[in-house]
Amino acid sequence: MTEPHSHDQTAMIGIGEYRVGSFPMMTIGLGSCIGLTLYDDSLKVGAMVHIMLPESAGRKDRPGKYADTAVPLLLKELNALGSKNRSLVAKMAGGASMFEYFGANLNIGERNAEKIRALLKEHNIRLAKEEVGGKCGRSVTFFPGNSGKISIRRADGTTGEL
Amino acid sequence: MKLSTVQADAIQELGNIGAAHAATTLSQMLGSAVEMSVPAIKAIDISELGTYMGEESAAMVAFELQGEIPHGGYIIFYISRESAIRLTNTMLGLTDMNRTMNEMDESALLEVGNIMVSAFLDATAELLGFIMLPSPPALSIDMAHAAMSTLVAQMGEEIDEVLLFSTELICEEHKIDSDIIMMPENSTLARIVELMENMMKGV
Repeated sequence: MTEPHSHDQTAMIGIGEYRVGSFPMMTIGLGSCIGLTLYDDSLKVGAMVHIMLPESAGRKDRPGKYADTAVPLLLKELNALGSKNRSLVAKMAGGASMFEYFGANLNIGERNAEKIRALLKEHNIRLAKEEVGGKCGRSVTFFPGNSGKISIRRADGTTGEL
Repeated sequence: MKLSTVQADAIQELGNIGAAHAATTLSQMLGSAVEMSVPAIKAIDISELGTYMGEESAAMVAFELQGEIPHGGYIIFYISRESAIRLTNTMLGLTDMNRTMNEMDESALLEVGNIMVSAFLDATAELLGFIMLPSPPALSIDMAHAAMSTLVAQMGEEIDEVLLFSTELICEEHKIDSDIIMMPENSTLARIVELMENMMKGV
């Protein structure tokens, strides 16, 4: 099946990176990382970020890498395009525990998800849907130009939508 | 940390010795010859990790490096899903390639990873007198990037670039292609470089 707007170049978003616009955006192979999207249906624009850790501990150089710096950054970028926080809808995927042995001690995926939920609440952003946790890797594609549709592909070959 | 040519050569030599011991154990387990590549050193920005390991399905047996430096980074036995099935089929006397992987495969992979990584770290400890002990093994059979990025995240918030030493181990007879990848944390790397330099100076 071909996606609408498939002629648009899909932007690949690596760890700690983010993009804002109406073109398709993709994060591949999310493990404990989280792909967070914010979408404004009235303007048909969105933003996506590939978050690795919950807390920046004062680091400023890669704001997309940490939940506590990434969320305000995306809001600032979208607000600059005319988006109001109340018209933004958030969705997220990832936050898995890929290695059971390490996962039990560190659980970075779960801590990422919790931090993002708290930040969205603090900024009055509605979290419409999420697919987080478990022990499975996910690739996520976000289509702001197509009603903010999000498709997920998992390592076992199954697919889904958010 | 940036490596000079001399330091890179020293690390390559260390990787060579470790991987040679790991290759010997793999060869014994498979009962056939195993070839190894020249160890490669790659510095990868975390945002570019996806170009090194992507969505491909792979089995990864990961060990945290412990010992003198408690959270010293990771060492990983990496094998593509196809090669992993060929490996366990060879060990378990099976032939079916189009099967799902089960608990038997998982324990076989954990065991192979354990033996190979122990051989690698024993050899490097003997050479350097620097003990890196492997944690118990952790296994992921999933998208390579998902597993690898999780290990990078576990190394902490200050990591923006990782240094990977990888050696490819190939068994032609059974078409098995695997890698041993070491991802040292900065203090481990500094210690290894220092010890290798002293050794080459004949101290």
